[in-house]
Amino acid sequence: MNWVGLNTLIKREVGRFFAVYRQTVLPGLITTALYIAIFGFTLEQRISEIQGVPYTMFILPGLIMMNTLTNATSNTASSMLQMKLLQQLPDLLTAPLSGLEIALAYIIGGAVRGMVNGILVLLLGVFLIGMPVNNLFGTLMFIFLVSWAFSSMGLLLGQLAESWDQLAMMQNFFLTPLSFLGGIFYSIKMLPDWAQTLSYINPIYYMINGIRYTVLGVSDSEVEISILMAIVLTIGFTLASILLMQSGKKIKN
Amino acid sequence: MGTPAIDIKGLTKSYGELKALNGVNISIKKGEFFGLLGPNGAGKTTTINILTGLVFKESGSTKVFGKDTIKDFRYTRSKIGIAAQEFSVDWFFPIEKLLFFQAGYYGIKPKDAKALVDSLLNRLGLSSKRNSRLRQLSGGMKRRFQIAKALVHDPEILILDEPTAGVDVELRRDLWKYLQDLHSRGKTILLTTHYIEEAELLCENVAIIDNGKILKMGAPKELTRELGEAGITVVLENLNGLNKKDLENYKYTNDKNRLHFSVKDPDEELPKIIRILSNSGLHIQKIESNKSSLEDVFLNLTGKGING
Repeated sequence: MNWVGLNTLIKREVGRFFAVYRQTVLPGLITTALYIAIFGFTLEQRISEIQGVPYTMFILPGLIMMNTLTNATSNTASSMLQMKLLQQLPDLLTAPLSGLEIALAYIIGGAVRGMVNGILVLLLGVFLIGMPVNNLFGTLMFIFLVSWAFSSMGLLLGQLAESWDQLAMMQNFFLTPLSFLGGIFYSIKMLPDWAQTLSYINPIYYMINGIRYTVLGVSDSEVEISILMAIVLTIGFTLASILLMQSGKKIKN
Repeated sequence: MGTPAIDIKGLTKSYGELKALNGVNISIKKGEFFGLLGPNGAGKTTTINILTGLVFKESGSTKVFGKDTIKDFRYTRSKIGIAAQEFSVDWFFPIEKLLFFQAGYYGIKPKDAKALVDSLLNRLGLSSKRNSRLRQLSGGMKRRFQIAKALVHDPEILILDEPTAGVDVELRRDLWKYLQDLHSRGKTILLTTHYIEEAELLCENVAIIDNGKILKMGAPKELTRELGEAGITVVLENLNGLNKKDLENYKYTNDKNRLHFSVKDPDEELPKIIRILSNSGLHIQKIESNKSSLEDVFLNLTGKGING
């Protein structure tokens, strides 16, 4: 194992998104504050509580999850595609770094961004609306698992994509709709039966409800299933992204 | 003879129907300055990219100091530094930081890389730009940065893909001097180039490649002697006293008082010709010698110029 190489690439990946924090860290906070102000305070007039929790507080765990997973995904996806398009990738592929080391460094870089964003939104909730955190360890564990899983998925997307357009399509047509339909702003019990059934095949639904349970103690899904799903996604995406990187597909001729 | 620094045997590669490499064999000794000479699309970059792990080979073997470049990739890649033809772009970090990252990929911690990074930035005239981003550098500076990046882990083998493409004459001369200096310090250098002058000046041996095949390999001087033709023109006051028998071993034309000889090696033949003419009592007014170059060799082998 080339530990110095791995560590260097992690530092580069983390340094890269911190160098443009106005683009990678602040937007999540601002958007969340806007969601709280617009959705929360206005809709709270009509939906005062869901499952015994004030509406603004109810949506916050979902917002934590959305920020975590979109940031983790876009970090690895855009970094990998950028490296490909800007001719930086040969520097890595000709160095004594294995596919495993390159994949791990990228995943860790994306996971750090996911966690930073998730934790900042969590803190915003705590300080802005006095949100209690039922189980801090469980909450941080969820943020970590989801960051890692979606960072790995982002790496898959970044390696397979050939243009920014393709990447945007994957994010706009799959990730964002699945996040919104995963129950950020509602309990699926408010949906008709067929829509509830559809939600069960959306993995993000389990992530949102998992963290909602660890933060607020309420959830549409069984917390054990949410944890299991987070672990399965983490292992599945990690293995797939490492294997794809080792294969050299789309990055070597 | 020791283990070659680079040993390529029977290398083939196809892109669909296109046969990019068709059984390439190259052996480069440790400490040798070797040139891979050929036009665009000849297979130079593909050969280098397979050697360095950027492209999958179809068949054949590539070894660095006797070790396979796939099986022992950590060893072989640590021995090689590459200055690619294409510039990479980075928006985020200053160039000094990029050099530390590059050293890190090769397992060198910043504190251990510091001295070499400083000396490379100084030698390549980039010291004042250490805090600049790549986009703020001129084309020539970017080219020098590519070379600094290739050398930051102090590799034994330096591979340069068209290192002086698009740089001005002054910088080209400076880079040549630097490469000669590196070579004199024992680095093995593999250079691909379009520039005949560059190959002739720098390389001890060259391989001429076209359509994925090595057509000829050897020292530039030997190749030009073997395959090139050079001309010597001697202008005489008059031809009175010339005994044609004395020149019967030469291919020459006679236009009034102007004799034009076609020879393989003008350096060797010129003194002999002068001696013959002087011994015949002829007065030489002017001598011109047009040396044969690798361009002639390339023309002879492929029927076309190196630049198309």
